[in-house]
Amino acid sequence: MSRNAHPHAMAPSKPGRTRTAPPQLPDQFPFGGRYLAYTLFDLTGILYVVLGLLALCAVWSLGSGEADWNAVLERNRNLFSVGFHGIALVGLIFVGIRFFGFFPKAQPPHVGPLKPPPKPVILVGLYALWIGVTVCLSIVLAGGVF
Amino acid sequence: MSDGHSKKTFVVTRFDPDQDAAPRKQSYEVPVHPDWKVLDALNFIKDEVDATLSHRWSCRMAVCGSCGMMVNGEPRLTCKEPLSQYGDTVVVAPLANFPVIRDLVIDADGFMEKLTSVKPWIIRAKELAVEEGPMRQSPAELAEFKQFSMCINCMLCYSACPVVANEPEFLGPAAIALGHRYSLDSRDEGAAERNEVFRGEGTVFSCSFANECTEVCPKHVDPAAAVNQAKLNAVIDWASSLVLPRGGDE
Repeated sequence: MSRNAHPHAMAPSKPGRTRTAPPQLPDQFPFGGRYLAYTLFDLTGILYVVLGLLALCAVWSLGSGEADWNAVLERNRNLFSVGFHGIALVGLIFVGIRFFGFFPKAQPPHVGPLKPPPKPVILVGLYALWIGVTVCLSIVLAGGVF
Repeated sequence: MSDGHSKKTFVVTRFDPDQDAAPRKQSYEVPVHPDWKVLDALNFIKDEVDATLSHRWSCRMAVCGSCGMMVNGEPRLTCKEPLSQYGDTVVVAPLANFPVIRDLVIDADGFMEKLTSVKPWIIRAKELAVEEGPMRQSPAELAEFKQFSMCINCMLCYSACPVVANEPEFLGPAAIALGHRYSLDSRDEGAAERNEVFRGEGTVFSCSFANECTEVCPKHVDPAAAVNQAKLNAVIDWASSLVLPRGGDE
């Protein structure tokens, strides 16, 4: 407990009866112990922003002629780009598994008369969807369809 | 000193608002019994070593939720934590993310305000007359919310929650779980009112599903599930108000 949290964290709307010491952050926050997985989960957002920008550039080059598109493909062959995409893939799998693990319990017991399917069914459905989309995208990107 | 005792060092956070500018650490050597919980050692310090130490406790059976503290950096109920699971040094501090009134006593006023803001009571459009008899509830209907009613308001979840640490206005796990518990109750008709609260700033949509509240809950409640179920309910309620006639009102 060495660092101050937000000084107004949990402060009541009216002044307290006595002077209080400011709230402290948990020792391990943000990179230690129980917080590591959560922080890594959130940090993967940076990867998605960069990936999104790269995807936009690639789509833009598609409309700018074959030379531009080939230049994009060439840029993606260098070691840095391959390494970045490898890290992004690991990040995506980590986030997917963590999110899918939490997803079933986030379903309310019922929505009107409808009840969610059993948790194992939700999990199998999510993984099947993920694998299915990945396979379809891979086939398209490999030129198997178009 | 009777047989079976060993010594442990307790590093305890001290803060006297009349004298200290900021919290400080103080060490105590305590002869501990193998059966003791962390709270027993704190009570020993209070009774035998330093009567100025302040800490909260009441039931000693993990029911009242008074004795939550950071033990070796983790939010724990001190009456539930056996000392045998800790090493020679035990660090005890007040719950993280809360202002400290004195030593290990935190200011829970903000938490109490958050609890009441979710309207944690059964709301009825029209009260039943006495002659109509009790409101009945089936075991299946009870099972939908029962786990959320096991919360003892110990505030460990607020101490573990990284969103509470970063966003002080966040309504927080226990308050949302409590509101959600009443919205799930088959006798209640106030879900729409609570969804209004949940759609406000700093409520369910501030939660980033760290799940730490669930991890530290000493009563095995799943506040993270409640918060994220409340998210979905708030969205469905809002969407139905847009597309259904008369905003979905009966």
